[in-house]
Amino acid sequence: MKSYFDLIDDGGSDIAGQVGRQRERIAEALAGVQHIVAIGSGKGGVGKSTLTMQLALAMQRRGRRCAILDADLNGPCQARLAGLENAALIPGGRGMTLPRTANGLGVVSVGSAVPESQDLDFASVARGDSHVWRATREFNLFQQLLGLVEWGRLDVLLVDLPPGAERTLQYAEVLGASARFVLVSIPTALARGVVARSTAALRRTPNATLGLIENMSGYYCEDCDEVRPLFDHGRVDTAPELGLPVLASIPFDARLAAASDAGDLESPRGPAVRAIEAAADSILNGLAERRAG
Amino acid sequence: MKFLCVPCDEQMKLKHAIGPEGGSVALVYACPACSAEMAMMTNPHETQVVGSLGVKIGAADDPETAAAASKCPFTGMLADMGVPVTGTRTAENANPVESGNGGPGGIPWTVEARERLANIPDIVRASAVAGIEKFAEDHGYEEVDAAVLERARSFFGIA
Repeated sequence: MKSYFDLIDDGGSDIAGQVGRQRERIAEALAGVQHIVAIGSGKGGVGKSTLTMQLALAMQRRGRRCAILDADLNGPCQARLAGLENAALIPGGRGMTLPRTANGLGVVSVGSAVPESQDLDFASVARGDSHVWRATREFNLFQQLLGLVEWGRLDVLLVDLPPGAERTLQYAEVLGASARFVLVSIPTALARGVVARSTAALRRTPNATLGLIENMSGYYCEDCDEVRPLFDHGRVDTAPELGLPVLASIPFDARLAAASDAGDLESPRGPAVRAIEAAADSILNGLAERRAG
Repeated sequence: MKFLCVPCDEQMKLKHAIGPEGGSVALVYACPACSAEMAMMTNPHETQVVGSLGVKIGAADDPETAAAASKCPFTGMLADMGVPVTGTRTAENANPVESGNGGPGGIPWTVEARERLANIPDIVRASAVAGIEKFAEDHGYEEVDAAVLERARSFFGIA
């Protein structure tokens, strides 16, 4: 009797072919994108989304063509950060037109289509057991976004990842070996432990991790015009254990938080934004070195 | 998944699909040698898991359908499934392009404009349609066609 491998196709649906065409479409859509950089952590609440936006703006100020893809489908923040909660989603001749901010930054976020008063709810014929299929469906949506958006020519596409060390690994697999990663932590043992798991997960992939950004390394006091300690009772040095280069240490700046909440793209000058610009330079240098290498 | 006719030792070929009904799809396979037929029937969970991959069960009927499926495979799957949905969406506004009655606002869409909607991920398509129809209404267009879509791109500064 013939075995599974003796049978050439699946008898009619060509499921493998359909999956292959999805991948071809993604490759075609991303053909003009020079670098993909995923901003992850594993830990939630460390400022990944705000940093992603600020890094994109810093790169844009350096003349780079940038866009952001919000991969946090269940807790999308990029639409609000960009002031694009009601962005028009217009189908073009080849794909979905890339929504842009007033200053030209491309931002794709589910938050532009699903109001904050609603959760992301997928149509289903199997109600009550979404744990069985939900992750698969979410990655299918993410792949649709990769493959259907008209990304055009970009120097850097920044991908804002959701929390979860396992998610970091899964997005590495979906984005492919050429995608680079930047991990974000804060100087607490709690965050370091989770980021260590993401680091371990990424070591199992061919993807390069460019480095670590230590966020909330202190807080900027506008009255004193100086950076003061934030985690002085339990501060931990994250970098040695993780074995990653520190791209920047960024203090918390309440003005930046307020601007982010309001979707204001004018970055308030100060030590936080200066540190973010240093991180952007480090990332761009890292990309250039890897390209040259 | 593949099926073998054991007496003939021949791979069975997909003949046609029935459903979905209650979330179940029946796929009828036939042996090319002895013509024996069998049906594989999915339960709703199996249907949903395969659907979540964004693939379409069953062969595309025509090149146009195949082209649309290659752009957004899940579109074809969901449209064929006519899936019941929960929350604030309905089967109609989840995939208005397939409804044949225009979008929620009732403005007619040309075939070309409707085909372009396949370029919008299914989960955000209702929002896209609402935005485009509002643009069309605000600007006095009585129909959404490719030219209106291009004007919308320019209007929103994203052309």
